[in-house]
Amino acid sequence: MSVPAAIMRRPAHNALGRLVWRLLPAVPFVLILLAWAIGWAVFHPNKATLPSVGDVLEVVWTRARDGELGTHIFASLWRLLLGAGVGIVTGIIGGFIAGLYRNVSEFLNPLVVFFNAISGIVWLPLMIGWLGIGTALAVFLIWNTVFFIVFQNTVLGVQLVPEVFEQGVRALGGGRFETIRSVILPGALPYILTGIRSGLGFGWRALIAAELVGTPNGLGQMIFAAADYHRSDIIIAGCLIIGAIAIAMDRWLLLPIERRTIERWGLVIDATREDRT
Amino acid sequence: MSATAAPTGVRPRPGSELSALALAGLWRMVRWLKILVPFAVLVAVWWAIKASGDFPDNILVSPLQAWRTFVHLVSHGVMAEYASTSLTMIGISALISTSIGVPIGFAVGVNRYAAHSLEGFLRFLQGISGIAWLPLAIIWFGFSHTTTLVIVIYTLIVPIVFNTMIGVRAIPENYVLALRSLGAGRMRLVTDVYLPGALPSIVVGLRLGMGYGWRALIAAEMLVRKGGLGDLIFGARTFGQIDRIIVGMITIGCLYIVVDRLLVQPIENVTIARWGLLRK
Repeated sequence: MSVPAAIMRRPAHNALGRLVWRLLPAVPFVLILLAWAIGWAVFHPNKATLPSVGDVLEVVWTRARDGELGTHIFASLWRLLLGAGVGIVTGIIGGFIAGLYRNVSEFLNPLVVFFNAISGIVWLPLMIGWLGIGTALAVFLIWNTVFFIVFQNTVLGVQLVPEVFEQGVRALGGGRFETIRSVILPGALPYILTGIRSGLGFGWRALIAAELVGTPNGLGQMIFAAADYHRSDIIIAGCLIIGAIAIAMDRWLLLPIERRTIERWGLVIDATREDRT
Repeated sequence: MSATAAPTGVRPRPGSELSALALAGLWRMVRWLKILVPFAVLVAVWWAIKASGDFPDNILVSPLQAWRTFVHLVSHGVMAEYASTSLTMIGISALISTSIGVPIGFAVGVNRYAAHSLEGFLRFLQGISGIAWLPLAIIWFGFSHTTTLVIVIYTLIVPIVFNTMIGVRAIPENYVLALRSLGAGRMRLVTDVYLPGALPSIVVGLRLGMGYGWRALIAAEMLVRKGGLGDLIFGARTFGQIDRIIVGMITIGCLYIVVDRLLVQPIENVTIARWGLLRK
């Protein structure tokens, strides 16, 4: 879901204008923090209902210092890495097979539509019985979510590679493998990467949902357990961390990879660069 | 897709309409077979696994048992009750989030500074899935339908606002300037430029939101336990009723496909065909 270039183009102004433009994204965060702080100071709500900004910062600080927060974050990220890794690899391999052989994709398509509709959290009750509570369950749910998105995007990408290019390589004496390596793979890459990006978005959601009841630790479990003690400070801190990790992953991991691939293969004029500074 | 290919090959010779009709019917059957055969294979594999291994019924039930449970749940009205709760929830949420989200998206989208300032914030919100707010919502609203609704509306509204905003920003400024120079007022700009220009993007947002929202609904229902299909399958887990879980999962999948194909996709097709704009 990258934003097309023209949409967010910054107005060409002087240095001050550019500075304002750069600071703008912080405005909503600052406003919410202010409203929260002022609202809290005026109404003094029950701490269990709405903690103060300070409470949330304090709980982040103490939990980070005794290492508990780190353990939860590490557990969640490890599961995401495992589940998404397996999901991406199987999704790409499966997608290539289905994309290259029309019969396979026609046979699989109805199944993919159906299983995509129940991908992720819907499997939780069944899989708790089969895999028990723990990492295996979370990894399965993430794999299940990521696989179908990557698979469908890979199939689309492979099928959309113009046949002329394939014929070109063949005419020059390239074999099947050569065609796949030098034509279909680079041609399908942008689609695959889009699939990975959106798959990880869905996967992160599935993970948090799975961790609420399906694992003994992790960020999802941290916030769900906090609800029992009405520790809304922990919940809010957890939610903010979950959002921050999602953003960080997208901006510093997936976006650069996507950009580099596009540059490397020169398939799309990278229009989004200007406003990504 | 393939159904349209058959009749074109048949020349309308006198007297051959009947055979052309029969051929078209045959093609339609083949198309249905193509959809059904994979599922038949799947059920056969499922049955073979059940028959070959020594699985007790609280691990895996046979397809026949699942079918019996389905018939039982349907004939006793249980399924209708759980399914209607879920469908009502997603319907209400979709209505509320569209009617709030689209105007907000427009308001933000028409101003380039507002759009730029909110983009990062909306991305951040999208990173916090609705389900992550569930523990807080439970503290605030208890184990109630309100909690479920709040979660699903939050999940739906973020992509709708975001995509509406993007859609409005993507409209070439020249269109706006052209209408303005012809003397159009603000209202006229909204109805003639912004709305049609942003519609395809709004629909994409709605579709994405429905994908996130349906899952958030099921997950929320599992934990809130106040009816709905999520409650059905999670409740069945407590008693090891695998048949109910499987039947519930199949129902969830089918309902989502029906909602997506019969409601969301036609809207998408109509807007794209009508306004002649391509999806990304």
